[in-house]
Amino acid sequence: MTTRIKVKNAETGASVDMDLEQDNTVEEIIESAASYWEKPAGAYVIRKGKQVLRGQATIMDAGILSEDVLELIPDPEGGQ
Amino acid sequence: MSAPKVISETKREVKHNPPPPVTHTRKHYWLAESSEELYRSIVLSSGVFPVYISKKAEQRIRNHALNHGDDGIEVMGFLLGEVFEHMGTKYTVVRDVATTTLEASEVSVKFDKGNMGELFDQLDGSGFDYMIVGWYHSHPGHSCFMSPTDIRTQKSMFSEGYHCAIVVDPLKSEIEAYTLDGDGYKPIPFTVYWEEYEDSYGKLYKKKRRKG
Repeated sequence: MTTRIKVKNAETGASVDMDLEQDNTVEEIIESAASYWEKPAGAYVIRKGKQVLRGQATIMDAGILSEDVLELIPDPEGGQ
Repeated sequence: MSAPKVISETKREVKHNPPPPVTHTRKHYWLAESSEELYRSIVLSSGVFPVYISKKAEQRIRNHALNHGDDGIEVMGFLLGEVFEHMGTKYTVVRDVATTTLEASEVSVKFDKGNMGELFDQLDGSGFDYMIVGWYHSHPGHSCFMSPTDIRTQKSMFSEGYHCAIVVDPLKSEIEAYTLDGDGYKPIPFTVYWEEYEDSYGKLYKKKRRKG
């Protein structure tokens, strides 16, 4: 069964519709979205509402449902 | 098992809108001397600044940096805003900022992953359809520049033409905005604006350079 979600890119305001399988993980969602937008996956977290989703969680573990909107959020680091 | 599949993309439309009027903009009192010529060049040509920062966002950035300046600790946050176009020129409006607790020292800063909920509360409470148009961070006592770590962050996450990085030094009372320029970076002119219903960006925050 396929679950269709929307992933929003917080830096550009663009969004993609994405089809998921039940055994897909959060990490795979980040990798697919980051790859589509040509970004390094490791530089991002993804959220559902107020929660950061954990990378190894499957979509079932993470409670991801059809028509959910997830947001890809950059995880910057500053230094000298 | 197959990987998640992107079916379609919806891009955000860039709205056509004039920038804040010159009567409601002013040079940041902490603008680094090296950027003052850039600022003047836009004013003299009646041009469009690449970046407009609201008085509210400016105050929040400065206060955040000042609150940790005496400890010498860096601070950081997102710039929330929108991108517009006027007479064929795109420009960025920073309306507000968002941050959370930080893992920070005198030489590095990042978000505390254990408290991202506070960041998300601020994003959701911004009151408009925000974009993260860049980031700000401080270099207390070290002046404004982009370190190799900063440039790496900018390239990875904020590589669009409208993205910017604001660096503030609360001890030297300096601020600059930057964007990527090839493999490096360059300063870009910006201005502070205020809304019709707000008091103007006042003289309260005049530059007071500290010794040392």
